[in-house]
Amino acid sequence: MKEIQNKLSTFKSSTPSRWREKAIERQKNREWLRYSQNIAMMMLDKMEELGITQKAVAERMGCSQQYISRVLKGTENLSIETIFKIESALGLQILEPIFVNN
Amino acid sequence: MTFDDITEDGRLWSVRYDGDEDNILYSLFDQWNDVAWLRSFFKANSKDLESYFKITNINDAITRTIDDSEKLEAIMMDISPEANLDLIFRPLSNSRIAECLLGKEKARLKKLVGRSSWLRIYAIKLEKGVYVVTGGAIKLTATMQEREHTAAELVKIEKVRNFLIEKKIIDNESFIEYIAET
Repeated sequence: MKEIQNKLSTFKSSTPSRWREKAIERQKNREWLRYSQNIAMMMLDKMEELGITQKAVAERMGCSQQYISRVLKGTENLSIETIFKIESALGLQILEPIFVNN
Repeated sequence: MTFDDITEDGRLWSVRYDGDEDNILYSLFDQWNDVAWLRSFFKANSKDLESYFKITNINDAITRTIDDSEKLEAIMMDISPEANLDLIFRPLSNSRIAECLLGKEKARLKKLVGRSSWLRIYAIKLEKGVYVVTGGAIKLTATMQEREHTAAELVKIEKVRNFLIEKKIIDNESFIEYIAET
């Protein structure tokens, strides 16, 4: 390592960074994350249309506001049960095409 | 302020600002993949989005950001020992020609996505092939000074540069030149 890099090393963080781990996780899960992100966009559109807050959505779904906040980030691996609850709480049709096609 | 060795070979570093749990590269990609955060950002900057990029649908802007972020993150992750970082970063000022001490640099997805990307990663060039990431932004306007969030990046980059100079994290030859010039 060069002199300048050694100088910078003396100011290295005391705990390791999780950046690479998180990036690998995002890369590995990219396909289903797209679904999660699309659902978050649908929810945010609907919440704006209805004029309701995250807290109100949490109450309607019977879960915590912290969980709704994570769902709206588009990073949650949502179960069928959760998707059903989102549909009911917001009057959204996320899985509807599946039933229409069958 | 501390520093994380991103490439684990001392070529690419990222600043970890006081009080932050992880470095700025971690925070940036976290934000650029956060649908709720992106929606708030584009709502607040919808005029710029429309006037500079002709985009009126916020969800299109969110999807585009996530797509570009994925490509930029892949570039950062795949930096091989042979990769030339001087090809990823270029001077922050388009008019800067000559090398300068702890030059301010930017990385963008020019040519890689076949269209212009608004994502920027800002860094300081310690020396040839060695960079320190100081921040990043969604840049929708022509200049950084025009908007608060991009102007704040200029302040951050200057703050890190001053820290590096104060702690003498510069090569001796450049430091002698710097002292002679100031």
